[in-house]
Amino acid sequence: MKNPENRSNALFLAPGLLIYTVFLIIPLGLSLIYSFTNWNGLNPNMKFIGIRNFLLLAREPMFLESMKVTLLIAVLTTLGVNIFGIIVAAVLERKGRLFQLGRTLVFIPAILSPVVVSFIWSYMTQTNGGIINRILNGVGLSSIDLYSSSLSMVLLVSFVIAWAALGFYVTIYIANLNSVPEELYEAAEIDGAGAFRKFLNVTIPMLRPAIVINTITATIWGLKQYDFVKVMIPGHIQTVTIYAIERAFEYNMFGYSSAVIMVLLVMTLIISVVQMKITEKGSDIY
Amino acid sequence: MKKIKNISWKVSILVLLLLYVLPLYVAITNAFKDYESIIKTPLNLPSPVIFDNFIRAINEAEIFTLYKNSLIITSTSLLLILALSSTMAFVFARSKKRYVRILYVVVLAGMMIPVQNILIPSIKTLQVLRLLGTLPGLMFFYAGTYVSIAVFLYTEFMRTIPLSLEESASIDGASRVRIFVEIILPLLKSCSASISIFLGMWIWNDFLPPMYILGAGSGRTITTGIYRAIGTYTTDWDLVFAAVIQASLPVVIMYLALQKQFQSGLTAGAVKQ
Repeated sequence: MKNPENRSNALFLAPGLLIYTVFLIIPLGLSLIYSFTNWNGLNPNMKFIGIRNFLLLAREPMFLESMKVTLLIAVLTTLGVNIFGIIVAAVLERKGRLFQLGRTLVFIPAILSPVVVSFIWSYMTQTNGGIINRILNGVGLSSIDLYSSSLSMVLLVSFVIAWAALGFYVTIYIANLNSVPEELYEAAEIDGAGAFRKFLNVTIPMLRPAIVINTITATIWGLKQYDFVKVMIPGHIQTVTIYAIERAFEYNMFGYSSAVIMVLLVMTLIISVVQMKITEKGSDIY
Repeated sequence: MKKIKNISWKVSILVLLLLYVLPLYVAITNAFKDYESIIKTPLNLPSPVIFDNFIRAINEAEIFTLYKNSLIITSTSLLLILALSSTMAFVFARSKKRYVRILYVVVLAGMMIPVQNILIPSIKTLQVLRLLGTLPGLMFFYAGTYVSIAVFLYTEFMRTIPLSLEESASIDGASRVRIFVEIILPLLKSCSASISIFLGMWIWNDFLPPMYILGAGSGRTITTGIYRAIGTYTTDWDLVFAAVIQASLPVVIMYLALQKQFQSGLTAGAVKQ
C-alpha cells in the first residue's frame, strides 16, 4: 500500500466493495451452501445432505409444474414482446401527432408497478362483469372464463406481462429502426419490393442484433416472474420464484428452497453467458 | 390501393390504442365513481364525479404514509447507489492495474444475479445484522443488488471522458479526491440522471423485496401498502382504482414531464432487467 495509486484506489473502492460483498456476494454464497443442507431457517442445527435437495426437487410434482409454468410464461412473453414489439415499432416510428401519442401511450404500462397493472387487468378480465366479457356480451358473444384452467391462466398472465413490457421493447426497436439506412429501402424499392418484402428483406435482417439481445432479456425477465402471477392468480398457478419463496417462508424449507433458487440461477447464468458471447461476436462484426 | 393501405394503417393504430387506452381509461374513470356505477356502467364517464374513493384510500391505505416511506427508500437507496458506484467506477475507468480489472469483472458479474434469487438468503444476513424489518435493511439490499449495473454504466461513461483535464489538474497538484469531486462528478450529470430514472422507477415499483424485508409491521411501501390494503380476491373496486392511481401518479407525472429521458434511461437499464 505504499504506492499512492493503490492507496487512493483502495479509498475509492472500499465502501462499494464492502456493501457489494456483504449484501450480494455473501448471501449468494450462503444460498449455495444452504442448498446442500436440510436447514429449516430457524434451528441453528443444519446437516449437510449432499445433493439430496436437488434429487428431491427433480421428483417433486409441484416444482416441476412451477417450472413448466415459468418456462411457458418465458417463451410466450418473449415471443409476444418481440413479435408485437417489432410490428408496433414499425407502425409507430412514423412522424406525426397520432404516432407520437401512440409511442407515449404504449410506454405508460412499462413505468407502472406490476402490482398496479395486475389489479387493473384482474378487473378487466373478471368472469362476471369484467370489461372484456361486457364487450363480448355487447357484440352478442357469450362470456369467457379466463380463470377456468391453468393453461388459460398462464396465457392470461403472459398476455398481461407482455402488455406491460411491450412499450419498452417498442422503444428499443424504434431506436434501431431509425438507424437503418434509407438507401437500403430505396434499393429494395428499385428492385420492385413492396412494403411487406421490404420489411422482410431489409428491416428484419437489420434488426437482428436487437432481436437477439431483446430475446435474451425477455427470457431472463420471464424466468424470474413473481409479481404478476402472485397478484393476479394467487394460489392457482405458481412460478418457480413463487414456489421457492413459499417453501422458504411458509414451510421453513430453507435448504430446499435455496436449491430451487440455485436451479433458477444456473438457468439465468447460462442464458446470460450466451448473451455475452453473442454480444462479443456482434461487436467483432462492426 | 393506397387508400386501403392508409385505412389499414389507421385501423391497426386504433386497435393498438384501444388495447392500451381502454385499461387506463377504465382505471381512471372508475376511480371517480361510486361502487354502484362501477358495477352497472363501468365504461361510462363518471357522473357525478366523486372523490370519496381517494379520501377512502388515503385513510384506509394510508397513502401519504406510503408515499413518505417509498420516497425515503427510493431517494436514499439511489443516493447510496450513486455514491458507491461512481467512486468505484472512477477507479475501474482509470486504473490499469491487474487487480482492478479483476475486481471490475467481479462487480459486473452481479448484473447477472436477479434480485429474486438473493432475497431468501438476504433475509438471513439482514437478520444477523439486525437490519431485517428496517428501512436501512431494504436500502442496503438495493445497494448490494443494483450497484453493479450503476458501476457498469458509470465506468463505460467515464472512459469516454478525455484524460487531459485530469492530467493538467494533477500537474497542478490536485489530489485524486479533488479531481473526482471537482472535475469528474460535474460531468456525470446525464449518466446519473438516466441511472436514477430506471433504478428509481424499479425501486419505487418494487414489490417482492419490500414485502419480505420490511415485513408486515414496519413501514410499507406504496406497492406493498396498496397490495395489503386491497388484498387478494378483492371486489372492492372503488378502493382499488383510487389506490392504484395514487400509487402510479408520481411516476406517471415524472414520465410525462421527462419522456425522452425516461425512454433513454430505461433502455440503458436494459442490460439488466
